[in-house]
Amino acid sequence: MAEAAIHRRITPPGFGEQVADALLSGRGIWPAVPAIVVLTVVAVIPFAILLSLGFSDFEMSRGAIISQTFSFSHLTNALTDPLYWITFQRSMNLALSTTALCLLFGYPVAYLFLTGGPWTKRLILVLTIAPLLTSGIVRTYAWLVILGGRGVLNSALLQAGLIDQALRIMNTHWAVLIGMVQIHLPVMILPLIAVMSRHDSRLVEASENLGASRIGTLRTVILPLSVPGIGTGSALVFTLTYTTFVVPQILGGGNYLNAATMIYEQVVFSLEWSKGSVSSLILMVTCLMVLVAIALLTNHFTKWTKGHDA
Amino acid sequence: MKWFRGRSPVDVVGIGLVLAVAVFSLVLLVAPSIIVVIISFDTRAYVTFPPAGFTLRWYKAVFEHGELVEAMLNSLQVGLTVTVLCIVLGVPTALACVRGRFRGTTALSVFVLVPHMVPGIVLGVAVLFAGALVGVSPSIWLQSISITVFILAVMVRTVQSRLMRLDPALEEAAANLRATPFQSLRTVTFPLLMPAILAGAVFTFVEGFDNLSVAIFTHGFRDRPLPVELLALVQYTSSPIVAAVSGVQIVLAIAALVIVSMSIGLDKVNE
Repeated sequence: MAEAAIHRRITPPGFGEQVADALLSGRGIWPAVPAIVVLTVVAVIPFAILLSLGFSDFEMSRGAIISQTFSFSHLTNALTDPLYWITFQRSMNLALSTTALCLLFGYPVAYLFLTGGPWTKRLILVLTIAPLLTSGIVRTYAWLVILGGRGVLNSALLQAGLIDQALRIMNTHWAVLIGMVQIHLPVMILPLIAVMSRHDSRLVEASENLGASRIGTLRTVILPLSVPGIGTGSALVFTLTYTTFVVPQILGGGNYLNAATMIYEQVVFSLEWSKGSVSSLILMVTCLMVLVAIALLTNHFTKWTKGHDA
Repeated sequence: MKWFRGRSPVDVVGIGLVLAVAVFSLVLLVAPSIIVVIISFDTRAYVTFPPAGFTLRWYKAVFEHGELVEAMLNSLQVGLTVTVLCIVLGVPTALACVRGRFRGTTALSVFVLVPHMVPGIVLGVAVLFAGALVGVSPSIWLQSISITVFILAVMVRTVQSRLMRLDPALEEAAANLRATPFQSLRTVTFPLLMPAILAGAVFTFVEGFDNLSVAIFTHGFRDRPLPVELLALVQYTSSPIVAAVSGVQIVLAIAALVIVSMSIGLDKVNE
């Protein structure tokens, strides 16, 4: 090893290495330039084009825009169309309720992770990371198998004599909600675990030594400290659920129109570029508004804990 | 049950409730996959429960289903392209973000994150429209580069967080031994970053392989990726062939888990 290092030191660097050295020793922005170029060409410019298409009347000829004038008409058309309101409201309700339920079911798992032994921790990590490595469509298909007319749930309930005829769950709002919560649960749990495992475990011990009950410790120590994790988890789950079309398409039976399915139809089936652009922009802006609200709430409650520390 | 001793009933019931929900959630996470694996071995041609017998015919059917195999190969190609592009573009960017001595390193980190924060379908629509205006029609390459842009942030973040925890003394030692910056990068920094790059590669590959939101707008008309093919299959058929695809995916996911846990450890995944 040492000989190799000495040998390497006395070998004069080749041209390639000299160039690499020049690029690296400056500690400059150069290594990031390829990524910046690609992101600009494939993300920034397309977003700018999307924006310009949404806010203009344009004429197309042979795939090129031949005239374009600034206009709010597509936006006002969208905002006065009740279909838009119904669709975006449905998406928003679904995403918000999914986020809340994911928090409700995910938080106890994170608490178990915090208090459990090494094997419990390992089990929780495997069970939350493994689903993220398989396709969302495949995991949604599982709910088709469970909730279908002759599915697992109905067979079990019929055999147990709890119901006389098969329940109709598929293609309802409930099927979509159940699928959404189960599929996005890992996305909520992981950030919670990440924040909780950074806690100083002595805080929990101190609280219990001072005579606090477990519930008291959870409420007054663990919960306030995990606010950043709740914020990150909620933001991730909300963004995914607000803009998904897999679960609504499969479990909603194809006629469950949400924002994403509407955009898909406008863009791919009816080739309405202006409508598609405006809907995409509305989706992005409304999504961003909720994310800002989540960030502000997280900040507010984090400051509150800091105040108690002082 | 030692920790019930000496506790108030409210505490026992309260914590009991929290733990019961936790166990319920964990069962909820794993049960559907188990049910699907069981279904995938069922002899009947429609989805029912409990299964009537054991067969491997659905697994055989997956590999005899021409379109499905082609879709798998397409997605494999996209996954690999995305991974390679993310390594080539992401690792140097992470280096610049952490080691750069120029103004705007923070701005650079944020800039890389932006496409990842935008909903995938919005990016997909934007790329589709922009491409159409300059004469680039949807293809497996447009799909690959779009997903790369979408997921690049994950690679940068993974490498970045590892880079920030590296002991700077190691690189200083290399410099003191008169290693050139390139030599120190190749022989000191890079080997230490390998686990993070490997973990990032797993996640970017999975995204390239599985992404639907970006792919549905940018994929080539003839090169349908697996998620698009599966969505159609799930919507229009009910044969257990999808269950067999799930079975294959679960095996692959376990393999990926083993790679991740051996490279950076499962507990480092979301840092």
